[in-house]
Amino acid sequence: MSPEAPPPPTRRAVLAGAAATLGLTLAGCGFLPEDRNAFGDPDKPIDVKADGDLVYFNWADFVSPAVFDGFEKEYRVKVIQSNFDSMEGMAAKLNAGNRYDIIFPTAKWAQRLAAGRRLRRIDHSRLTHADAVFGRYHYFADPWYDRHSAHTVPFTMYKTGIGWRKDRIGDDLAGSWNDLWNDRARGKVFVLDDRDEVLAMAALKLGLGIGTSERHDLDRITATLQDLRPRLRGFSSDSYNNLLNGNAVMTQAWSGDMAAMLGQAKDPSVLGFEVAREGAPINSDCYAIPANARHPGTAMLFIDYMLRPANVRKNIEYIGYPMPVGGSEDVYASIVKPFPQCLVTPDDLKADLFFRNTSPKGEQARDTAWTHVKAG
Amino acid sequence: MAQRTPSAPSRPQRGSSASGARLWTWLMLPGTLWMTGFLIASLVLVATLALGTTDPLGNPRFGLNFSNITALADPAYRIVLLRSLGYALIACVICLLVAYPVSYAIALHGGRFKNLLIAAIVVPFFANYLVRMYGWSVVLSDGGPLLRTLRAVGLADGNTKILQSGVGVVAGLVYGFVVFMIIPLYAALERMDLSLIEAGRDLYGGPLRTFLFVTLPATRQGAAAGAVLVFLPAMGDFVSAQLMGGPDQIMIGNLIQDKFFEGQNWPLGSALTMLMMAVLFIGMLGYLRRTRKDEAEATQ
Repeated sequence: MSPEAPPPPTRRAVLAGAAATLGLTLAGCGFLPEDRNAFGDPDKPIDVKADGDLVYFNWADFVSPAVFDGFEKEYRVKVIQSNFDSMEGMAAKLNAGNRYDIIFPTAKWAQRLAAGRRLRRIDHSRLTHADAVFGRYHYFADPWYDRHSAHTVPFTMYKTGIGWRKDRIGDDLAGSWNDLWNDRARGKVFVLDDRDEVLAMAALKLGLGIGTSERHDLDRITATLQDLRPRLRGFSSDSYNNLLNGNAVMTQAWSGDMAAMLGQAKDPSVLGFEVAREGAPINSDCYAIPANARHPGTAMLFIDYMLRPANVRKNIEYIGYPMPVGGSEDVYASIVKPFPQCLVTPDDLKADLFFRNTSPKGEQARDTAWTHVKAG
Repeated sequence: MAQRTPSAPSRPQRGSSASGARLWTWLMLPGTLWMTGFLIASLVLVATLALGTTDPLGNPRFGLNFSNITALADPAYRIVLLRSLGYALIACVICLLVAYPVSYAIALHGGRFKNLLIAAIVVPFFANYLVRMYGWSVVLSDGGPLLRTLRAVGLADGNTKILQSGVGVVAGLVYGFVVFMIIPLYAALERMDLSLIEAGRDLYGGPLRTFLFVTLPATRQGAAAGAVLVFLPAMGDFVSAQLMGGPDQIMIGNLIQDKFFEGQNWPLGSALTMLMMAVLFIGMLGYLRRTRKDEAEATQ
């Protein structure tokens, strides 16, 4: 015999339940307007001293383990690591109230976070090695995403180009985004599964601004990409595996992934990487300290430690991305000797092909264009 | 048909054991709270957010804005939604064809190895779905073992591909969810009264006729349950199309995922989610009516 069924709930119980549901719904989300300093006061100066273990939040494998070890030993703190796999994922964790001491947003996200008063002000005069960055790479002394780099210190830089298999379609491409339309690669071409990158590629080919959200521009961009679509094998940001396992003979690719392939491919000479003459989108990550960090002092020490020349060297060798630190250029150049186009020079920065934030309306227009490109 | 369906539990007499009833109410509390907190509340959240907007930081904000709903009229969504329905249905049918013989063999001829065989099917599914799909994409890749073998025996040429095609996506869906079909079918076959088959044979039914007119109808409910369990996740899946599909295989799950991650457009993602749920709900209505009819027949 089955257990006795409970008595039917009273109306009061139902109402209480409904209220509890609504309460949970509202409490569980930060989607309501909040007060200015909900996440702590971003302008309070940071006392630079070891004030606890470092809660670190970054892409996986982005700092050499040897550098972490050295930092832990020298300052007698622990590094508590966690990773994100997208900027959106990072933002979601921050919005949920998680507290980290150091995070690594891209330029666009640094701007969003700083504008939202979510990043602590960083006093560069308290960083012993700041001059190697801001003195040599003037671009970062006053970048578009953060006035005077007041809340950030640049970390890595990368750009977008075309990676291809020389053993399948030959050594020489035209050095243009038109190469994606190359007949020899037809049916085995991938573009990144990334809205901004794909729209920018077509925009550059058409001579338009990479961040355009004008209706007319977006229509032309969509038409260009629809023209490429039958030649595509897919949208994928896994350039690394696609090229190595042969599913792709050509793919839109980030310079960092190509540099990583140099170390992993059995025979790197079958791979090529070029940057289009119409322009290569460029991007950078930076160090930032969230406004609600518990140990901002340790975070400052960590940034300074990471900027020491020996550590910059170790990190570049470990992750394969160039860093805007004067004196480290030769290290990177020797790693990417077969792909000199992976280098990011001050001149590249001047071209300023960064992905920027647009208005919510503009974002929506770009989003719709991307949906049409993807869904066909 | 299903003579052994237990009759619905009878309602307790009022006042017969008030303390017992109270105990059951308390025992239900954790589960109810859990469901309220994590299922209903998040659903309410998604439904409310469908009317929301985003602030300049890309954060979703509640509002009363119908542009996300009207945006769903874009034909791009209709195409992708229909494609997803199609893939999910095909995956469902293939799962049924694959799972039935497997379940049948284990339930009726598994003997003392029954549990071991079921474990052998279920245990690999404890491995993370994403990891299994990655593995599958390696197996099906151009340089992977399957195509290399096919090429070696002359069944494929250099241009044959499985990945980035509809076949690849459906294969991924079938592989991902087939176990949800095997288990309910196995349960139905296992529960079936074997004397029914003998009776069918006694009445001069051949093996095929007995199967078609006795075994199949007796396990109809298991198949229906399996179909629902496969169809629902297959319809919303985005991993298979992401790893095994090309530009023409995008499913609705991919677009929803894009809205939440790429475009940071949670309100539109929420609206799309509600649209998909509405479509699934209409499909489920058919299933619910069917099972109610079956139950009604059984209790007559």
